[in-house]
Amino acid sequence: MGDAYAFDRLPLDDIRPGTTVLVTGPRHEGARELGLRLLAGPAGEGAIVVTTNRRAERVAADCERLGIQVSDDRTAILDCVGQEDDDVLAQVLPVSGPADLTGIGMRFSDVYVDFDGDGIERVRTGLFSLSTLLSFGDLRTVSRFVHTLVGRIDSVGGLGAFLLDPASHDEQAIRTLSQFCGGRIEVRDGDGGSELRARGLPGQPDGWRPFDRSPR
Amino acid sequence: MILCTDPDTDELSAARDALEAGGFRTHGVDSAGAAREALEEVGPVDCLVTEYDLPDGSGLELVRETRAASPDTACVLYTDAGIGEMDTEAFGEVIAEYVRKDDPGSADRLVEIVEHSLAFRSQTAYPLPDDEDARLATLSRYATDPAALSASLDRLTELAAAQFDVDSAAVGLVDSHEERFLSCHGADVDSLDREDTICTYAILEEGVTVVEDATADPRFSDNETLAAAEIRFYAGAPLTAPDGRAIGTFCLQDGESREFDGRDRELLSLFAGQTMEQLELRRRLRETGGDDG
Repeated sequence: MGDAYAFDRLPLDDIRPGTTVLVTGPRHEGARELGLRLLAGPAGEGAIVVTTNRRAERVAADCERLGIQVSDDRTAILDCVGQEDDDVLAQVLPVSGPADLTGIGMRFSDVYVDFDGDGIERVRTGLFSLSTLLSFGDLRTVSRFVHTLVGRIDSVGGLGAFLLDPASHDEQAIRTLSQFCGGRIEVRDGDGGSELRARGLPGQPDGWRPFDRSPR
Repeated sequence: MILCTDPDTDELSAARDALEAGGFRTHGVDSAGAAREALEEVGPVDCLVTEYDLPDGSGLELVRETRAASPDTACVLYTDAGIGEMDTEAFGEVIAEYVRKDDPGSADRLVEIVEHSLAFRSQTAYPLPDDEDARLATLSRYATDPAALSASLDRLTELAAAQFDVDSAAVGLVDSHEERFLSCHGADVDSLDREDTICTYAILEEGVTVVEDATADPRFSDNETLAAAEIRFYAGAPLTAPDGRAIGTFCLQDGESREFDGRDRELLSLFAGQTMEQLELRRRLRETGGDDG
């Protein structure tokens, strides 16, 4: 199964391969940045980013800013937004839109096989965000999608980080989606800046801990 | 049983051979129509493996139909088609695993994906308890002779319906793909797909689950089965076996949205405890050979 996934300059212990975490927090308080930072691994790892609401160009720029080494042979952006972005360093793969969960899943499988063929066995996958998927599809459909994707990430020993803005959804929806994931990382704006708290993940420190939004 | 659908005879054989070598039983057909017939004949299958291009339709259409009949069927598109050649947009809600035949090692990947999908049941549209396999093993010890208890459980569900003044009260066991009702007072239901029943969620909780208004709950607001049964209110207490695993629920339903206070929850838990005790006594009687029924 390989070594656990490690995180650079974040107050998180390593996470076991095959785990997907739900990252929840308000839109402007660092949850998205944290989700992307979880995808920043050492050289040799691959990253797959599903973007539902931001252009691939901007996502690639965010990835670089947050410590992901973006390149077209080991970074893939599954783009549900549909703007043509020619000069993005990452491999940009189109999906017809955020309601096309079938297309997102198949693109993921395809990229994964490509990465594997290139000898990239460790892959971190981010989904930004589940909130958009829920605004285009019902909870039952999104549940099947999340369950299937979490299962795939588990079967290949990957790492998943799925972003959800809790303010936009009922508690039952959040609870249901978190039940598919191995754990949850909550983000909030604390006294001294952004803070995170890990729940349901073995071996993580208790309580809220401050983190820098950008690795610098 | 795995249903394999592929119009190309050689490719169909190759897929079936790979799966059978992996320990699965398969049935092969060459079109969507033949797949439908097979499903009608043999009933739900564990897994559907299909080509995308079928002479009489699309593999994604077949996945959609198969899931409508049996929601938990794992589905894999095993196909020559690249993503750009498929109309996924029209089937955006379908969701299936995808293995491209011309990728290196594709037959092995197909077997791995089928194995994983079935072992972890990772294509269901609802969450599973962490200890699902052990839970099902526990359940099997109680589910062997359900009819033997129906008279005493019928008394309990009738009492509960009167106590709480609700349309119906039931005792249901949540099996791998469906909930089977041992007793149901006030409604006539034998079983429901697990995807359609609120008890699927109630067995994940330690205490009583209350849904005051199913039409306002995102988990159930589009649930046609509940709508057809005119169920808005639900309360369910898990039937927790002595090993701590929830095998089903004692549950209440009503057509009107309503509240359910702390005392109500306590009383419903007593009904669930009493039911579990009956199930446990019956099991012991059976396992010690003292059961002549």
